[in-house]
Amino acid sequence: MTEAPLLELDGVSKRFGSIVVADSLSLSLGRADAVGIVGPNGAGKTSLFSLISGDLRPNAGDVRLDGRSITRLDPASRCRLGIARTYQVPRSFEHMTVFENVLVAVHRGAGLRGREAFGLAAQVLDETGLADTANERAGRLGLQQRKRLELARALGARPRLVLLDEVAAGLTDPEVEGLVQIVAGVRARGVAVVWVEHVVRALFGVVERLICLAAGKMIGDGEPRAVLASDAVRDVFLGTDYGEVAPG
Amino acid sequence: MSWVNAVVQGILLGGLYALFACGLSLMFGVMKVVNLAHGDFAVLAAYLALVIVSGFEVPILWSVLLVAPLFGLVGYVVQRFIIQRSLDVSPLTTLLVTFGLSIVIQNALLEAASANSESLQSGILASGSFQVAGLHVGYLSVLIFVTATAVIVGLQLFLSRTSLGRQLRAASDDQETASSVGVNVRHVFGVAAGIAFGTVALAGVAFGMYSSFDPAAGPQRLIFAFEAVVIGGMGSLWGTLLGGIVLGLAQVLGSQIDPGFGVLAGHIVFLAVLAFRPSGLIPQVAQAAQ
Repeated sequence: MTEAPLLELDGVSKRFGSIVVADSLSLSLGRADAVGIVGPNGAGKTSLFSLISGDLRPNAGDVRLDGRSITRLDPASRCRLGIARTYQVPRSFEHMTVFENVLVAVHRGAGLRGREAFGLAAQVLDETGLADTANERAGRLGLQQRKRLELARALGARPRLVLLDEVAAGLTDPEVEGLVQIVAGVRARGVAVVWVEHVVRALFGVVERLICLAAGKMIGDGEPRAVLASDAVRDVFLGTDYGEVAPG
Repeated sequence: MSWVNAVVQGILLGGLYALFACGLSLMFGVMKVVNLAHGDFAVLAAYLALVIVSGFEVPILWSVLLVAPLFGLVGYVVQRFIIQRSLDVSPLTTLLVTFGLSIVIQNALLEAASANSESLQSGILASGSFQVAGLHVGYLSVLIFVTATAVIVGLQLFLSRTSLGRQLRAASDDQETASSVGVNVRHVFGVAAGIAFGTVALAGVAFGMYSSFDPAAGPQRLIFAFEAVVIGGMGSLWGTLLGGIVLGLAQVLGSQIDPGFGVLAGHIVFLAVLAFRPSGLIPQVAQAAQ
């Protein structure tokens, strides 16, 4: 008997009125996979994350983790099972310190207590380069640090699958480079990564599989360069600079 | 001398208001719920204490040991099964729902007890006093003030130092994000309400020993709690302590000028704060509990 994949989506659909954000999506993700997701605005990338994390419930279809259906579980339960996400627009606990932001995730998501919890929180802040700001209020951080805190909070939950929603958007080139290093490190520890990003060259540093979404449908899935080179994907991105930023 | 005495009495009375208001402050600070039944729950707690004291013939302070935990449980249940449901609809709905609760409690008390006013007899505690520098200070008002301060310090430590306290603050900042890192938001909101109701029980019994009460006394008292919270700064517990003291001082000093002017003086200070410093004496940032 083969082991069930880490995450499976089986015919997942979600619509808001006449707007379809997920049209019978099916995909399967193995342990320690690293997958990039691209697609034009409104393609349903963030909605896909919300369907996986539990922030949205699908109208139809099933979401499975380790072969077990999690479709009816709330986000908190899914987090404790190993799924953590970041938000595209950073949503930290503004009135709490950076350290506390991560500590909440460590206590609840990773289920650690006492010294162990403090240890993991400190380690995550080190890993994400936020150790210097540990005692600052999250509300005072700049954009780059907020993006990193999104990542740190997700890692604090000690996930097996982390969903990164445009964590590189709005950052300068050296900042993006630093972030890619961090994500590559996370991935190297055996954490599966699904990364939605407009900055495609950031993805190429980490992922070995690329999925392209358009209007809630999957129009490409496979080796990144092959996906970007396919006609269907080229059509969708006609007139944008996706093709050019992909390293040849 | 009488002015010095008035200042001391005012500060001590402020302890009672702060104790009464901190539950309201906590519910607002964490869940953004304005509990309009706050005063009625306090009156209900006083009636419950009355039943326990006369039924089991135990001292009044013992009854608190039963009423406060019971109210903690009531708070959790009321939050999860009544207030949370309305919170899911819209924040305004919670106003209607807690207003409804207020009316139900008043009428239920009227039915179960009577419109007559009652009071909690605490013997030596209420009448006894000691002398400091020529001032007579009542045991009861000192006990209430110390309790209020201890409750607020305890709450601050709970919020800033414990895992559950941090979860509360996280859920207060952003429910969805808190949920995404594994926080069971409904449960922690229930806990917050349970704690708030526990303090309401303490304050209700304290109020009952301090002055008489009847089934309709809740709304009148709610106003004092509101004033303490607004004067101090919405959602800040230290602010609530300060707000209670400012309100108590205003009332006692006001009645020093003219016996009928006391309560009005409190309202005037409240209005002045609203007009000139609407975010309160200690604005919200204090909630960040360093």
